[in-house]
Amino acid sequence: MGHDHDHPHEHGPGCGCGPEHGHDHGHGDMLSHRRAPVAPAPPPAPPPETPLDPGSQALATALRSSFGIVKVVMVGLVILFLCSGFFTVGPQERALVLRFGKPLGEGEKALRGPGLHFALPYPVDEVVRVPITELQRVTSTVGWFFITPEQEVAGTEPFAGPSLNPATDGYVLTADRNIIHARATLNYRIEDPVAYVFNFTAASNNVLNTLNTALVQSAAQFTVDDILTRDVFGFKDAVRRRMTELAALNRLGIVVEQLEVASRPPLFLKNDFARVTDAVQKREKVINEARTVENQVLSKAGADAAGLTNAAASESVWLVESLKAEAARFNDLLPRYRENPHLFVELRLTETMGRVMAGVQDKIFLSDSPEGNARELRLLLNREPQRPRRDGPTP
Amino acid sequence: MNKNPLSIIVGVVLLAVFIVLLFVFQVRQSEVAIVTRFGAPHRAAAPGPHFRLPWPIEKVYKFDQRIQNFEDKLTEDLTADNNNLLTQVYIGWRITEPQVFFPKFANGSVTEAEKVLEGMLRSAKSAVIGKHALSDFVSAGGGSQFARIEQEMLALMQAQLRANSYGIAVEFLGLKKLGLPESVTQSVFDRMKSEREVLSSRLEAEGNAEAEKIKSRATSEAAKLLANAEREATRIRAQGEAAAAAVLPTFQQNPELANFLLRLNALEASLKERSTLIFDASTPPFDLFRGGSTNLLRK
Repeated sequence: MGHDHDHPHEHGPGCGCGPEHGHDHGHGDMLSHRRAPVAPAPPPAPPPETPLDPGSQALATALRSSFGIVKVVMVGLVILFLCSGFFTVGPQERALVLRFGKPLGEGEKALRGPGLHFALPYPVDEVVRVPITELQRVTSTVGWFFITPEQEVAGTEPFAGPSLNPATDGYVLTADRNIIHARATLNYRIEDPVAYVFNFTAASNNVLNTLNTALVQSAAQFTVDDILTRDVFGFKDAVRRRMTELAALNRLGIVVEQLEVASRPPLFLKNDFARVTDAVQKREKVINEARTVENQVLSKAGADAAGLTNAAASESVWLVESLKAEAARFNDLLPRYRENPHLFVELRLTETMGRVMAGVQDKIFLSDSPEGNARELRLLLNREPQRPRRDGPTP
Repeated sequence: MNKNPLSIIVGVVLLAVFIVLLFVFQVRQSEVAIVTRFGAPHRAAAPGPHFRLPWPIEKVYKFDQRIQNFEDKLTEDLTADNNNLLTQVYIGWRITEPQVFFPKFANGSVTEAEKVLEGMLRSAKSAVIGKHALSDFVSAGGGSQFARIEQEMLALMQAQLRANSYGIAVEFLGLKKLGLPESVTQSVFDRMKSEREVLSSRLEAEGNAEAEKIKSRATSEAAKLLANAEREATRIRAQGEAAAAAVLPTFQQNPELANFLLRLNALEASLKERSTLIFDASTPPFDLFRGGSTNLLRK
């Protein structure tokens, strides 16, 4: 455990390595270390006590010039050390500056937006970066069967045994005490970076556990058929609602952006569930066929009904109109009839017979027999010709 | 000696840095620190810079004050109605009083604290689950009482923590997994299988019944339509006949003529199509064939 160290140098400077308290040595730290042994040791200039021979003089010059170089390097390092306080914040993140461990500013003001910023070098200030606009994603698999990534990619399914081992195979219990698999994927944004970073040691773990809870608890309130087919959206909505509620309750500091839920029957019962789906489809089909028949019958009946009433209407119109015409004719003819009824009748009858006869196809005239008796006429009305008996006794 | 002012400044600065390092420590936001004096906890320190006496007089221990996640293993408990239920719970806990926490666990070990939490969780779970029937966990239409169950567990945990004063608070608790023992899953599968069979046959029967209902409804609907149409047609005809009756007085001026004309029309209408007519010599105008011509000539 690193808690019993009180030496501030062990903490790296704000290197953007997130909320974790880094214990590694950052480069800024290294610089200060390097500077420490060098700075207090300005090598004293060689005392020119004795007259110098050219060799030692050359050595002295070399030492002096190297000391000059060391000074320049030192100044450079100091400048570099101060400049290490500049840092940039990307468009997808916010940064917090901790001065002696405490955030500078309160609430929203404590957050540095995208751009170039300055903070004093460690150990005075520390920069903590928080991803904010970018979507984070967690997937809850407490309710999903055990599947290796290779199987997932290949699209194959693991062996389905007649029972589930709770330690390896995840599942959820439904309201009607059935077992199914359900998996939820949550996309969320960090709404309150300060809470997200400073309230939780592992915030995304917390989000995941909250999602697990939301999924398991929502499933326990829905029946198996509601989850799988009848009310898929209702179930998804319930998980989402529970998630939002719990996130607010536990003050996770996140916003639920999108939540997807996948659910499926146990692998072992796959065929049984498929049969029910088939039955549902068959039921729909039978009902649809019946609807078609219904439509046909009704439209035919409608047409027939319209035919009946139309025929009646036209018949009655015809009746009235023809009677009216007849009446008009009667009115016309009446004066002439009154003049000479007998002649009128004869004329009319003969004229009509003449007209009618033209249209008659076969006309058979029977003259009186010479004895004056009426002749007898026998008619064979289209009778079917008698067939020769085949099965009769052979001659 | 060469008294270079730069060396002096550098020396002084370094000395100052050294002293500051010895006497000051900082506590990061999210942390809380405990300062021990000669090994005994002396005071707690909030985020920010703080003064301290140098080692070995005072020593600083830092703790994460954020909410830590802890989840137990899947454990089996008996519900009030004698069902075996597997549950897994996660909690969010934090160190609230480092002065209490620190001496309670060996040098404030988080692992030690989690062991204690697990034990507490274990007993809280069995106590609460034993009070609830399985239907309190799983039931449709908002019948499940997760929120209450979790609250009860949380309350038990908090009571135990308070009683023992560990310097720990549990912030939240959630049931993250529910399960059944493996042998029970097998019987659940058997039940589900038969349920599916019942369901599919019921669906089929329902479909057929519904189809029959639709068809027979259509037939009766059609019959009703036709009957209505028939009635309507009769009404229309009656109307027509009534209108026709209004014309009858005209014919009453001379029923004989009217009768004759109507018969004439009927005769004409009946012989319009391909017809065969047989008549004898007395039928006018064929009576001419029987000597009527002589009458005519005589005239």
